[in-house]
Amino acid sequence: MEFEEYASARGQELVRLGFTICGDYQRAEDLAQIALMQAFRSWRKVQRADDPHTYVRRILVNSYLSMTRRRSFTEAPAADLDPDHTVPDPANDIVASDDLWRALATLSARERVVLVLRYYQDLDDRTIAELLGIKPSSVRSLASRALGTLRKARESHRVDERLP
Amino acid sequence: MSKTELEEDLRATFDRAAASVPPAPNLMSRATDGARQAQRRTYVATGAAVAAVAVIASAGFALGGGLGGSTVPQPAAPAPAVSSATPLAVSEQLAGTWRPLKMDGVNGLKTARPDNPTLTFNSDGTWTGSDGCNGISGTFTIGQRGEFTGTAGNQRLIECANVPHTAVLQAARRIAADRTTLKFYAADGREVAIYARAR
Repeated sequence: MEFEEYASARGQELVRLGFTICGDYQRAEDLAQIALMQAFRSWRKVQRADDPHTYVRRILVNSYLSMTRRRSFTEAPAADLDPDHTVPDPANDIVASDDLWRALATLSARERVVLVLRYYQDLDDRTIAELLGIKPSSVRSLASRALGTLRKARESHRVDERLP
Repeated sequence: MSKTELEEDLRATFDRAAASVPPAPNLMSRATDGARQAQRRTYVATGAAVAAVAVIASAGFALGGGLGGSTVPQPAAPAPAVSSATPLAVSEQLAGTWRPLKMDGVNGLKTARPDNPTLTFNSDGTWTGSDGCNGISGTFTIGQRGEFTGTAGNQRLIECANVPHTAVLQAARRIAADRTTLKFYAADGREVAIYARAR
């Protein structure tokens, strides 16, 4: 598979993945672009991987985790900004309507990534562990802690709803 | 709430969020353009690094052994970076008068001598100095590929605690210089002498 073919087929999928892990549309596009840029620069190596998409997905996720570890992060702008062109942020609608989406924002970056990979990408814990470079037991621990946080947040929200 | 119910809600939330993402225009071209721009930046940075390496190489000394007094083999040291950017700048860094701080196998550098044991590199390819007792001089060249040749002229040899500058120059294969420090390295990377710029 050539890079152009891959990017056309899976680029939007990467943006969606980026949005689920960071909750910000613009940053999701940045993440997808960074992942594709890095993949493009070493496409021969990516092609040799068992699953190129897994490889690029790993770049995206780890780029996001790297960003969250830094106060600021380096972007690689590829186009001039168009001040007249504004993009609606779908996160606004989701946040307004979904308490679970809102609660996800309270998780640590790594916890949220684990949940996204497990429940959105349907990856098993061993694959997630390989992707993040951690042990499967750590994946289970992160997921358990994240689910506990979400459960508490949701129960608290329901209690709030019952209050007059 | 059961764990399963929460997990199902999570799946639904993620799916809904993902489905709400509008198409990202020109994603592929932005990625390829960005990669090419980054590659150009890398080439520029690499070019600068190559230039710096060339400078280091051009400042190298001819091959040779250590100073006479040293018999203990030392581990090879990596080539230090020269702080200058062009061969001309290396010559400028090297030019001037230096005093020895440390020499491999030589003790007593601080012993009182009739003259200050300095070494002066001139921009015309000659060097002069004193071993503490005798005036010494010679020539040196720094080739484009790092070759160094040094010659010593005839000199009177009044014996004292002579500082073996000539031996250093003959032993050294590479140098590293900045504003304050000049280091000489043997062919195996061993540091044979350190000089400080004389004030």
